[in-house]
Amino acid sequence: MSSPNSARARPNSGKLFALLVPYWRWIALLVGLTIAGNSLNLVGPQLIARAIDGAGTANYSLTSLIEQFLALAAGVFILTYGQSIVQTLAAEKVARDLRTKLIATISGQDFAFVQKVTASKLLTNLTSDVDAVKSFVSQAIASIVSSLFLIVGASILLMLIDWQLALLVLMVVPIIGFSFYFVLSRVRPLFRRGQEALDWLNKVINESILGSSLIRLLNSQALEYDKFIVANGESKAIGLRIVGMFSALIPIIIFVTNLATLAIVSFGGHLVISGTMTLGDFTAFNSYLGILIFPILIIGFMSNVVAQASASYERIGTVLASPPPEPWGRRDDPLHGDIEVAGLNVRYGDKLALENVSFSVPAGSRTAVIGPTAAGKTQLLYAMSGLIVPESGHVRYDGHEITDYDKQALHQQVALVFQDSVTFALSLRENIAFSNTVDDLSLQKAIETAELQDFVATLPDGLDTIISERGTSLSGGQKQRIMLARALALNPRVLLLDDFTARVDSRTESKILANVAANYPGLTLVSVTQKIGPIENYDQVVVLMEGAALAIGTHAELIHTSPEYVQIHNSQQSTDDYALQA
Amino acid sequence: MHYRLNTQDTNQSKEPLRVGLTRLLPVMAGEGRNVALAVFAIIISSATTLTAPLIIAYIVDRFIATNDYQGVFVWSGLLLGVFLIGLVSSYVQSRTMGGVGRRILFNLRNAIFTKLQALPVAFFNQNKSGDLISRINNDTDKINQFFAQALMQFLSNAALMLGAGVLLVSLNVRLGLAALVPAIIVLIATRMLSGWVKRASFKSLQTLGGLSGEVQESLANFKVIVAFNRLDYFRNKFAGANQANYSASVKAGVASNIFLPLYGLAANLGTLIVLAYGIILIGNGELTTGLLIGYILYVTNFYTPMRQLASIWASLQLALAGLDRISEVLALNSDMTIVPSDEVVGDAVMAFDDVSFSYSGGQDVLSDICFSLERGKTYALIGPTGGGKTTTASLMARLYDPSAGTVRLNGRDIRAFTAEERAETIGFILQEPFLFSGTVGDNIVYGNPAYADLAGGQLVDRLDEAGLSGLLKRFDQGLETPVSASGDAMSLGQKQLIAFMRAALRNPQLLILDEATANIDTVTEKLLEEILAALPAQTTTVIIAHRLNTINNADEIFFVNGGTVTPAGSMESAVDMLLNGQMQS
Repeated sequence: MSSPNSARARPNSGKLFALLVPYWRWIALLVGLTIAGNSLNLVGPQLIARAIDGAGTANYSLTSLIEQFLALAAGVFILTYGQSIVQTLAAEKVARDLRTKLIATISGQDFAFVQKVTASKLLTNLTSDVDAVKSFVSQAIASIVSSLFLIVGASILLMLIDWQLALLVLMVVPIIGFSFYFVLSRVRPLFRRGQEALDWLNKVINESILGSSLIRLLNSQALEYDKFIVANGESKAIGLRIVGMFSALIPIIIFVTNLATLAIVSFGGHLVISGTMTLGDFTAFNSYLGILIFPILIIGFMSNVVAQASASYERIGTVLASPPPEPWGRRDDPLHGDIEVAGLNVRYGDKLALENVSFSVPAGSRTAVIGPTAAGKTQLLYAMSGLIVPESGHVRYDGHEITDYDKQALHQQVALVFQDSVTFALSLRENIAFSNTVDDLSLQKAIETAELQDFVATLPDGLDTIISERGTSLSGGQKQRIMLARALALNPRVLLLDDFTARVDSRTESKILANVAANYPGLTLVSVTQKIGPIENYDQVVVLMEGAALAIGTHAELIHTSPEYVQIHNSQQSTDDYALQA
Repeated sequence: MHYRLNTQDTNQSKEPLRVGLTRLLPVMAGEGRNVALAVFAIIISSATTLTAPLIIAYIVDRFIATNDYQGVFVWSGLLLGVFLIGLVSSYVQSRTMGGVGRRILFNLRNAIFTKLQALPVAFFNQNKSGDLISRINNDTDKINQFFAQALMQFLSNAALMLGAGVLLVSLNVRLGLAALVPAIIVLIATRMLSGWVKRASFKSLQTLGGLSGEVQESLANFKVIVAFNRLDYFRNKFAGANQANYSASVKAGVASNIFLPLYGLAANLGTLIVLAYGIILIGNGELTTGLLIGYILYVTNFYTPMRQLASIWASLQLALAGLDRISEVLALNSDMTIVPSDEVVGDAVMAFDDVSFSYSGGQDVLSDICFSLERGKTYALIGPTGGGKTTTASLMARLYDPSAGTVRLNGRDIRAFTAEERAETIGFILQEPFLFSGTVGDNIVYGNPAYADLAGGQLVDRLDEAGLSGLLKRFDQGLETPVSASGDAMSLGQKQLIAFMRAALRNPQLLILDEATANIDTVTEKLLEEILAALPAQTTTVIIAHRLNTINNADEIFFVNGGTVTPAGSMESAVDMLLNGQMQS
């Protein structure tokens, strides 16, 4: 919703035309075919005029008329079909290349970029914005070229036949142009408001579908209907205003055109009677008038297409022009696993999600980060894995800044298990061995460590079972373990866990953690968690609250020094017995 | 009950146009007078369009040819009158039909939305939300475009074409029929080509869907792609989809662009036939030059609308396909009706009598379940994932009806209660919290008639009374914290807090928490426990949880697994069952 005003602030159609430069051969062919096709079209009335004038005379050959006319019809057919094929090819090429460019830019960016611009906006850029540019190429170019050509061509021919009558007839052109401009300039803001109303309506509908269970539980259908009816009413009101404006436009244009016909009949009739014009020319005049009007309408409608395409291309241009992220270094030595977080500040939206957070993690040790909802724990892990760039402060691995490392080498060795489960519409094997560097042995080890082997055995196709995009057929715990296996399959040196335990029961959790310790010796572990029980014998615990690290120490120390930690501890005390049993 | 909509048969309706158009009739109900007016206006304006060439021909033959300028002048006045009538009638036509279209769209959307609100949760579970949203947004939009633009053009072009055709034939039968020959050839060609065009267009739409699917999946999961060094996956997947869409679209373009040149060819051939044959007829003295000029205009009047009809045809087909998909939704009916029953059995707030349940067509998720919940107590449902906990809870709130047995609320069959009574009595915090766009405050009072009109300050007071205001500290701007449409800026824990406040504030007799606090930290969770404890003594609470501390305060624990609900007795034996149960699964 970021200021629709700036987006429409006079979109620069010059840029749009510059986009076509690399395709100039195609565009030239398109323009050539269009002009050729329309030239032939202009010959038609001439043939008719000569036929009518020559009809009575003796030396007139009907066969030659038929031959000429057939050649004309065939030529027009071939040229117009050729033109539409060329414009399809050109448009699809432009669209394909534009998408490829967009994807190349996006994949050169970091996660923070996609997060900031949002996935849905980028999707719009890649789909409807590219489509708008595509329809500019596939419709507007040929239409505008042929329209201009027809207007100019028909005008010249009219002038050649009789310049006085032609001037009279051509007076309709500015009148039509003006009424078109008048209506379109008033309708355009309405169109935009109509689109906004439609977006609003769609949002109400979407929420009523996605929140259907809640609505039924609260019996709030009437409330939703009220929201809906307001949005739908608004949409109807704007729609009716647009209808009101357009329903006047076309009849007026046709009427003005008809006035030109009237001028031809009365004034032209006078000329024929006075002998300065032939009846054939009189007929041709009528035909050319018909040719003249349609292009004016087309140009009017196409100005809309050009405006939309310009706005779309400007949005695409913003993405293409976004500067690439700061390049990282080339360090790719194997990590030992020492981590240092120093004075880390991370901004999320308007406020600091992390404020001056510092702690260090020795290689091979286990660190827990504990704290309430919205304390900034996830942001901390994102900063530690280089997914987001902190506002200030440092993350160091083995004493070197995270940005000194080669990005790929770092991601290969620092694995993050995300809080939310992300599965791809691939086989289970490809989901776990998602990185290209995973061999069968690492895959097997990861599956066993994540306690997935029994689950895999129950699947009819085993590891080759295709997982749906949202992983709907899997339980929350299964998805979480697949996420863990995916990270472990990298054979990482550092493992970052984000609330891994939320959807896995204590027993499986402790088994998995024991597996990790056994199968990945020397692994440095940083685990964001809610539960104190499993982390009591960790090497250190960081208590994170409202973006600040309030206390750092072992469980034994914190239980005596940190009131916040004690509070968390007490909140879980009563159930520790059971957790231990498990 | 099957609510599953057809998503496989993506072919457009094969029925003839006549049948398709009659199915548009019901949505046009109440517009009879307006439609009649519009049709009348269409006939008038088409008539004026068609009369003009006749008058011109008459002027040429009768006056210009005879040098009678006086006649030219008088008849030009008549022509002006005809044009004026045309102006008025075509304005009336556009205006009326445009209004009809907008109102039909308005009614159609209302009908679908009302229907959606009347359908039960099962409907939404059996269909993909993406498909439903697309039906309502995209399909109504296609119908909108059809009504707003195409229908008017369709009707007036059809009228013009028909009129021109009739005039062509009636003025001179042989010449008229000859002029129509190319049209017939072209219609046959259209019939033969349309299969090819349809297949190519469908393939192109399909690849477009595939393309946006790829992009959506990759962009939504961009962090994983970055963290696992798989930008190549993103690029390759996309490049494949992009190329597929390119070739399919080019093929579709080549196919669907054949029609306009073809119709242009037909128009030229028609003109040629009239011209050549007409000249021969003039030579034989059977036709006048004026009439030939008029005839050529009629050929244009016949073929131009025909070309327009061809381009509207696609839009009509799309609208009909959209209407099909919408009608499918409109035809569904909820089978969860109110079943009157005054029989009262027992005084438990909630009881299951031999309840069995299966999701449509599947195996029993629950079989012959019996238990009852007493007023004022706290119950916990534990058990492995997929064991039936959420299903049990959903039956308690009548999100579904059991396939056998009776669910009793306060002793009466739950099906005897109105939706309003159920909403008042039962609070349910769903596993997946849902937020509406707006503010945190909007979401807390959402659907709560008692608080709908409260000003911000009053709401804070009420939250204070309920002991809930402490939870607001988790939100930057308290009640005013904005909630965006996608809810991206909120953590899962924050969403769960809002859902908790929403439910607790309603003071239900029976409060069900379905893993409602899974992502909330344990300190805040303690606070929630205190809030629950402070609810009126009569409140019955049902808690579903993974974490054992959340169910610590339960008076009774049920173990739910493999379609059975077993009282677990003590906490210890519950833990024991949970462990053993997991060994089995």
